[in-house]
Amino acid sequence: MVSKNFTKTTRVLAAGMAFAAITAGSAVAAEPLIIGLTSDASGQYANSGASDRRGMQMAIAEFNAKGGVLGREIKIVHIDTETTPATGSRVAERMISRENVGFMIGAVSSGVANAISQVAQKYGVVYLNTNSSSPTESGKNCHRVKFVWDGNGKNFAQAAVKNAISSYGKDWLLLTNDYVWGHNTSKATRQLAVSHGAKIIDEIMVPQGTRDFSATLLKVQQKNPKVIAAAVGGDDLKALRQQVGQLDMGAKYAWINNQQDWPDVYGLPMKNLFGVFGTTWYYKLDLPGVDDFVKRYQAMYPDTKIRVPGNVFYNGYWATRSLLEAIETAGTTNNHAVIKQLEKLRIPAATRMQHDDAYMDAKTHQMQQTVYLATANTGSNDKDDMFRILSNSSPEKVADMAAQSTCNLESFADTPVVTR
Amino acid sequence: MDIILNLLPHIINGLALGLLFALIALGFMLIVGVMELINLAHGSLFALGAYIAMTLIDPNIAGWGSFGVWYMELSLTLRYVIGLALAPAFVAIVGMGLEICMRRTYGKKAEYGLLLTFGAALVIEESIRIIWGSSEQFLPVPEMVSGAFIAGGMIYSNYRFFAAGFGIFMIALVWLFLEKTPYGSIIKAGAHDSEMVRALGVNLTVLRLMVFGLGASLSAVAGVILTPIWGLRPHVGVDVVIPAFLIIVLGGIGSFWGAVVAGILVGLVVGIFGAYASEWSLMSMYILLIIVITFRTRGLFGKKSALEN
Repeated sequence: MVSKNFTKTTRVLAAGMAFAAITAGSAVAAEPLIIGLTSDASGQYANSGASDRRGMQMAIAEFNAKGGVLGREIKIVHIDTETTPATGSRVAERMISRENVGFMIGAVSSGVANAISQVAQKYGVVYLNTNSSSPTESGKNCHRVKFVWDGNGKNFAQAAVKNAISSYGKDWLLLTNDYVWGHNTSKATRQLAVSHGAKIIDEIMVPQGTRDFSATLLKVQQKNPKVIAAAVGGDDLKALRQQVGQLDMGAKYAWINNQQDWPDVYGLPMKNLFGVFGTTWYYKLDLPGVDDFVKRYQAMYPDTKIRVPGNVFYNGYWATRSLLEAIETAGTTNNHAVIKQLEKLRIPAATRMQHDDAYMDAKTHQMQQTVYLATANTGSNDKDDMFRILSNSSPEKVADMAAQSTCNLESFADTPVVTR
Repeated sequence: MDIILNLLPHIINGLALGLLFALIALGFMLIVGVMELINLAHGSLFALGAYIAMTLIDPNIAGWGSFGVWYMELSLTLRYVIGLALAPAFVAIVGMGLEICMRRTYGKKAEYGLLLTFGAALVIEESIRIIWGSSEQFLPVPEMVSGAFIAGGMIYSNYRFFAAGFGIFMIALVWLFLEKTPYGSIIKAGAHDSEMVRALGVNLTVLRLMVFGLGASLSAVAGVILTPIWGLRPHVGVDVVIPAFLIIVLGGIGSFWGAVVAGILVGLVVGIFGAYASEWSLMSMYILLIIVITFRTRGLFGKKSALEN
């Protein structure tokens, strides 16, 4: 005969097992979280886009290796944004409405980032602008759903301008890529330089897609400035560097190249890497965790031509990792909860492998971080060790104060709720 | 006087740039002129030539054994000459392969040829990415043509003038080939009336194969010469196709001297706009095209083209 207690115990156990089976079953069948990678695979920033993507993929692979996020596997959808704003809008629309992505990550071109973020805000989908650095991205084009991870033109100018005037002279010439990032970066440089007593003797516009800089460089010689502040990016900058190197003009003028993305210079002769430029990270920083980070990169990408990670990879990695950590902390993929987590994000310097703690500015949604000034490491025999770090400036010293007044984030009430 | 002194360096620079543009357009012109085909793979063949030359000039010799050591002991100048000679030859073979694929499109609508060459351009560009990677590469040049010189207080690049001089050499070579050899006469006759040429016993299939190979090799020559100035990346060919097409339309489809004059005109316009209204420098070539086409529909030296039929 079976006792009532035994029967009861059996029922409880059976119910427990059934519950466990159901919950386990639901864990196994948990819907993957789809993240849209909106990086360029063609056009002016194709190469940087690939580096950006590798950073995102490594962060996602690390999360998937420990069970995903909130028990959900993370899946990736990538569509080429072609370094074209109109394509960026189309890609964002398609990712949200057809691919069902929960979050979008990736940009190098500010024009593309702005286009994507307008669509993202319309639907309430959180979007991480990993690598575009126009001041407008966290200024007048800021959005509640958008977070900017790179230093912007103003940050880099703050780090470089004052020193350059006192070291090299007051006659400045601006070389400006004729699109949103170039215009805004040169505008920021002009304001800073003039406020510190410099005279802007000319500004030469460089249309996007320029491959021949001979006329520009002749005009530069005719103007004979002391300092040339260049806001030229991507393939245009590669061609410019090549031609300045051929003319041996790198040493004749003080070149301030607002920011230098690693994929744009990796593998070039040192002669082409002239002037002083900004960056947010370098693989030879003497800081804890850097060596391990480089090894993880090399283990994951043994065949890539860029043998060591650079700033673009770093930004792609950290944006993605921070998003996934924010989802874990929020305990949900609800966009409002994740935005609130990201707004109070603070990462210790030791974790982020920079000299200062980094933090998200809740008013502008731009990551405040250390900015480094660097130049060519001409004394090195190591082909990969191309930069010599000259200085590091804390986030407070290089803060873009103008962004605080120009950025007007949408309210949460005006941001659609999304949980995917 | 000051204006002239200011303008003179830009005119010289524009002429040098124009010769480079003409060099880019030569192969394109030859294929359009003879085969009535717009070869959208022209830019990719340009890039392929540069990549092959880079591999020959500055190879990664791991695994090459003693041959690699011996090869790298050759001077950079000699390796550059090897690259400049062999890369166009290899690209000529690729071009001939493409022409064989094209044969099924002959006699059909022009779109078939366009689509096929566009597809070929994508395949070549992706192959470059797979073989050489997508990051920026560097094509080294011999010491004797690198560096700079000063004239009239301005710094000029030695390599740019070498490239312009080489452009003149190639223009002269192609002109001599077309005008002074029986092969050139057959090609020109083929461009004028291919059926008559066939009726006279010329093997039109072989003629087209050779012309496509020659056009492709000229693209590669332009690639080897231009990429030390423009930089080398898989999509560098995209920067080439549009100016090449614009130049042959501006000069007149199929006209050798039209292509040369149009190339120089485009170089001058881009160079001068680059100096005095830089934001218009790229746009200026299109404005020039619009102006010329408005008054001369067939371009500067154009006669009625087979493409009009």
